[in-house]
Amino acid sequence: MIGVSDDAVLPRGGKQNDKSGDDPVGRVLGTADATPLQFWTAVTPGSYLQLDDVVVTKRDLPDREPVTIAGVVTQVRARHEGAQFDSDVFAIAEGTLPALVQEAAEITTTRVDPELYVPPAPGAIVHRATGEARDAALHFDRMERRIPMGTGRDGVPVFLNADFLDGTRGAHVSISGISGVATKTSFATFLLYSVFRSGQLGADGANARALIFNVKGEDLLFLDHPNTKLDEPTRANYKLLELPATPFSDVRVYAPPRAGDSSGSPDVSSRLTGVDAFYWTLEEFCDKRLLPYVFADADDERQQYTMVVHSVTAHLNRYAVPAEGGISIDGRRIGSYGDLVDHIVEQLTDDETRSTWAGSAINMGTVNAFARRLIGSKRDLARLIRGDLAQRRPHQIKTAESAQVTVVDLHNLPDRAQRFVVGVTLKTEFEEKEKAGTGRPLLFVVLDELNKYAPREGTSPIKEVLLDIAERGRSLGVILIGAQQTASEVERRIVTNSAIRVVGRLDPAEAARPEYGFLPPAMRQRALLARPGTMFVNQPDIPVPLCVEFPFPAWATRKSESGPPPAETMKSIVQGADPFAVVGTRGGSSDDDIPF
Amino acid sequence: MFVDAWDPSYGSSFEGGGDGGDGPASPSSAQVDTDVEVPAAEWAPIDVSSSVRCPDVVFLVDGVRRNDAGLWTAEEDGTSYAGLAASYAAGVVRCDLARGVAELVGARVGRGLFTASPTAADVQAGSVRYEVHRIHGTGEASKLPAAVQGPLTALEIDISATARDASSDGRDLLVVDGPLRNRRQLPRTIGYVKTQQKQYLPAALTAVVTSLRPSQRTPVFHLGTVWGGWSWYLRLPGASGAPWSGIVRVECSPDLTPGEAIELAEVSGATLPRFASSAYKDPRAPQNLVPIAGLERRLRGLLGDSRVLHRALTQATARARLN
Repeated sequence: MIGVSDDAVLPRGGKQNDKSGDDPVGRVLGTADATPLQFWTAVTPGSYLQLDDVVVTKRDLPDREPVTIAGVVTQVRARHEGAQFDSDVFAIAEGTLPALVQEAAEITTTRVDPELYVPPAPGAIVHRATGEARDAALHFDRMERRIPMGTGRDGVPVFLNADFLDGTRGAHVSISGISGVATKTSFATFLLYSVFRSGQLGADGANARALIFNVKGEDLLFLDHPNTKLDEPTRANYKLLELPATPFSDVRVYAPPRAGDSSGSPDVSSRLTGVDAFYWTLEEFCDKRLLPYVFADADDERQQYTMVVHSVTAHLNRYAVPAEGGISIDGRRIGSYGDLVDHIVEQLTDDETRSTWAGSAINMGTVNAFARRLIGSKRDLARLIRGDLAQRRPHQIKTAESAQVTVVDLHNLPDRAQRFVVGVTLKTEFEEKEKAGTGRPLLFVVLDELNKYAPREGTSPIKEVLLDIAERGRSLGVILIGAQQTASEVERRIVTNSAIRVVGRLDPAEAARPEYGFLPPAMRQRALLARPGTMFVNQPDIPVPLCVEFPFPAWATRKSESGPPPAETMKSIVQGADPFAVVGTRGGSSDDDIPF
Repeated sequence: MFVDAWDPSYGSSFEGGGDGGDGPASPSSAQVDTDVEVPAAEWAPIDVSSSVRCPDVVFLVDGVRRNDAGLWTAEEDGTSYAGLAASYAAGVVRCDLARGVAELVGARVGRGLFTASPTAADVQAGSVRYEVHRIHGTGEASKLPAAVQGPLTALEIDISATARDASSDGRDLLVVDGPLRNRRQLPRTIGYVKTQQKQYLPAALTAVVTSLRPSQRTPVFHLGTVWGGWSWYLRLPGASGAPWSGIVRVECSPDLTPGEAIELAEVSGATLPRFASSAYKDPRAPQNLVPIAGLERRLRGLLGDSRVLHRALTQATARARLN
């Protein structure tokens, strides 16, 4: 039963609307058909309804308890009644023609209780739903664990059913929207923060890990720095959501080594402490069969030379032996990725050794195509695959041994290197999970530009990994939070496996695609002008997507708004590479304030 | 040649004679005093004086009526009387020209069963009740519609007094649709006659009427009939150009002094033209004023659906016969 009584209790910390719950806002219209799933309400003069408002009405039935019908406003219109012609508006405004301004709101039903699908009676009083009635209308009362994801248009918290996030009944999140204004990554990080800090997931939430790939700017490198621009209203917003307004507490940042730097210092410019370099040694490259990830373009897979790739990978795996940081193969010591590439190309072009590396049925054209691409990868990958750095130094990205949040910075890397890092990291993590055989602790993977890694057309090793995560990750506790500009360009199986779909501002042409069929027409139109910070969230147990405004991040999103770094990152300052070089680069820039 | 702006089903704005087009045909026997404002010999169209201020608030009153059903009674002696179930409504629009708001400040609906039958009782048809209004005399069916006018006019007087009491600024003007008749006791009130049936003025002065340009009026004259009083003609803008098109007759209470009457004539000339309707929007343009047209639409809406009422009446009477 949905209560419409006046003693309805406000939601947790919810603030009072300007209209109290038992205040009627209108009556069900009789001039348009009222159906159990959709009906129109005439708004009482002096009241108003806006999009996303939650309303409730009752239908009395003979011999039964009354049916409570609750819904959200999906369209509002106002018109002059008594006017026949468009030009009548001037006569009305001039004060010569009597007319009535009448507003009407379209209500899309979200809940019928008890489940008896009867239309509301025209003339029935419609109330604004607050407190328990609102929670019931939006099915929040049935959620055992609810993760706050922001506030609705009415300023009251809106929740996500944790069952559909942690794999209990569903998993994975798909976020779509135009780059820059849709705030996809910000919403993803806020969602993670909410999972970690709301306490709704219990121990699972505290133990959960997150792996975030930072692809644009250094936006995500300051997750553990307080945001100096955080104001009182935002703090109040966090309080309303029962979340602390603090940065992420346990963050580890990995960045690729600086190009051409033999010491392997991380390539970051704004964040100086708590950054580790990540790379793979040549031994790992051979031993773990990482060569296919060098050829991770979708069109690479269609070529003949994939056979060569696999033969060479197998050969390296079998014959390469570790030697002083590098490897030794065919009795020759190799100390860098460039040397390895040169050696492979040399062996393949030599008629005598070609068949042992690539098999016998390979023609020269295919070998050349392979060699050309392999040589092309030298520039991109030389700094990631190393034979000159200490093996024992921690350099691998392993969420199990890392902090709660692991940020992998890719923004300085060229496209091929980005694919290599994402592919290898995800594969390693997924294999670890498979080996452990348990779904706990949860691992959230945040990956932007999913359309690049898992395009609709073609196959690639990365796409295989992502598909694996989408289809089996739910039981293994790997949850993909994928973001993309256009869901229509992402592999369909990944989108359909996402229980939670989120949409920010959309491109008009994109919004018309069937991938966004879950948005009602009015909402689809609104998505074209959604402001930053406004998202439409569709979750399986609520029939209408909810409009959510999530608060401004409490953590810094760029250097200029970052507060002092947390104390624990200081310990890794020794890894912060050449301190003099850093001072030198900072000298010229004026927008970098002293961070205290 | 001019096409009459009125929709043919409404008749014409004046009842012309056989020779057509030269004005209201039937000459009136009323005694007309044309020397009130200016001597008859000096009659000429009068422009709106620039010193006249249009009132900020104008009230317009109108009523609508509809015959819901014709009925027949069966008396015990075997005779039968005709009956008429009618709905009527009166309303007041308050046009606040300063604020630019036209609103319905009062509307009331009445329903009556008009018959001469001595035995007829109120009829409860669904949720509405038709009160019996007993007619004197034989009560032929053809005379019943005229009987509705009495209660309707009473309703109009009642509602316009109430509306004005509630929101009058002391300078307002009340425009009554149709002749004033027994509504003459209302203050600052003019009657607005859309249709010209009688020719009150002598032929020489009629030429002044037809020569009026839009917004011009004739001098005030006095009618000596039972419902007479001070009167003047006014041409509304938007007329086709035919001699009698857009001409309305305005009247005010004979109890006023000639000076007061002339002042009201001035005010009406400044006020009424801006309310004139346009031909494509109203079948009786320009005489049917815009607020009146809007009011009539609202009132007709208040009367309810005629088919529903007709069916309810049928059911109510059938049930009454069974009991």
